[in-house]
Amino acid sequence: MNLRSPATARSEFSTQPVPLAKDKKHEKKKGKRKRKNRLWSLVTNVPELSILIMLIVGAYMLMGVFSKVESTEVLSASSIWLIIVGSFLISTAIATLAVIGGIGGGVIFTPIMLGFTSLDSLVIRATGLVVAMFSGLVSTGPFMKTKLADIKLTFYCGVPITVGALVGSVSAIYLHKGLGDFGDGLVRLSLGILMLVVAWFLFTGGGKTEYPEPKRIDRLSVLLGLNGFYWEESLGKVVHYQLTRAFVGGIVFIALGFIGGFFGLGGGAFLTATLNLIMMAPVKIAAACSGVLLAISNATAIWTYITYGAMIAIFAAPWMLGQVVGGILGAHLLIRIRAGFVRKVLIIILVVSSMKLIVRGVEEAFGINIPIL
Amino acid sequence: MKEDRPKPPLAGLIYGEIVYWGVLAGSLIVIVGSVLAFLGDNFVPVSYWVSSIWKGETVYQTWKGATGALPNGHWYLSHLTTGDGLSALGISLGVFSVVPALFLSAAALFKEKEWLYGALAMVGGIVVVIGVLGLAPMPK
Repeated sequence: MNLRSPATARSEFSTQPVPLAKDKKHEKKKGKRKRKNRLWSLVTNVPELSILIMLIVGAYMLMGVFSKVESTEVLSASSIWLIIVGSFLISTAIATLAVIGGIGGGVIFTPIMLGFTSLDSLVIRATGLVVAMFSGLVSTGPFMKTKLADIKLTFYCGVPITVGALVGSVSAIYLHKGLGDFGDGLVRLSLGILMLVVAWFLFTGGGKTEYPEPKRIDRLSVLLGLNGFYWEESLGKVVHYQLTRAFVGGIVFIALGFIGGFFGLGGGAFLTATLNLIMMAPVKIAAACSGVLLAISNATAIWTYITYGAMIAIFAAPWMLGQVVGGILGAHLLIRIRAGFVRKVLIIILVVSSMKLIVRGVEEAFGINIPIL
Repeated sequence: MKEDRPKPPLAGLIYGEIVYWGVLAGSLIVIVGSVLAFLGDNFVPVSYWVSSIWKGETVYQTWKGATGALPNGHWYLSHLTTGDGLSALGISLGVFSVVPALFLSAAALFKEKEWLYGALAMVGGIVVVIGVLGLAPMPK
């Protein structure tokens, strides 16, 4: 089998120059065929995704053609349909970006909506949880099948993170009710600062290590039997790992659950960093477990918003569908896309939205007018 | 010696499959609900929901204008023939899939004599159920 790249082949046979344009065309064709094959394998391997996409497209066409929605003084009937379809498309894009960038979709949705729109902050946070959660929920199945999501680690961290998420979501409702605009200002300001930290994490890579080796293993981790193994595709062998700092990790997960439930975002970057840097899980295990934990914690927090009435179903529905489609697409198809470029895009989005959030937060909370952004 | 790929634990498979198919079932209901909302009956008109959110009204103002008060509970369960009711049910079903997934996964762990992790899965499930039932104290 010839494993040489076209570039190497060209340099070896320099006496017989290969026409570059032809070579490029050939590569392009090859790439197209590869993408076509990948798409086709997605259609055959995940038929439910194709059915879901067809149903969604059909449904939106029906809704557009036979709509009985009436215009209001604020919006026309066609713009209401456009908002719904646009939300679905943006949500699909966010889910795809989030999967490639390795962060939750809520980290993109919530800061942008809180920073740049005048929608009610509780509605945004409730919808943000939908956005943060559903791509994580659908990716749970594949993660569990490949054993990348460690069931012991997930259930150990699942308890503190769900408790934190429940307390965080209830606190959000109390703050909104009790402090009004001042509370919303504080939420925007603190979220803006938090997003700068997430951007910094993405920029530096969070200092993550592929296969961390704990220097000291605490008694609790040994008692809990927090160790495991998984198949490392890149090495072609089984990798064993031992986790540590179970107690500290548990405390940090309460705080992370609170942040997710309070702000209506997942914060997958923080979860991955905690599992990798504090508990010493290999980076792949940390990333897979953080997706599953994100879904569990948000599934706890969102009920507070649902029962309070903050999740407006008609508005949240297209965001949910977009996350499901984008989540499956991202997990199966786009895993090979260069994450570096996507990370840069995410960092820019996060920095700009955090600046806007800080400015709006200061304006709302302290009544100071800052004439920028 | 050639190593074999490790098999995933049963509890993990159960958890993953229930959540995956629960979310897809929820998505189907959301699609039907969205179509019904645009073409048929609604608990509250779609145009009102979207316009109110677009105007930046608070959750309280939105519900007050629609029904007179905040729902404080699972309002959609008594409006399952309406578009917005079905859409809310679909989203809730997708989220709720975590609950049976956690409990059945716990059962699988108990069967494998993993008592501690079975119990942790149960505790996690109970915390989610507290959220589902709205048992956490909320402001009036």
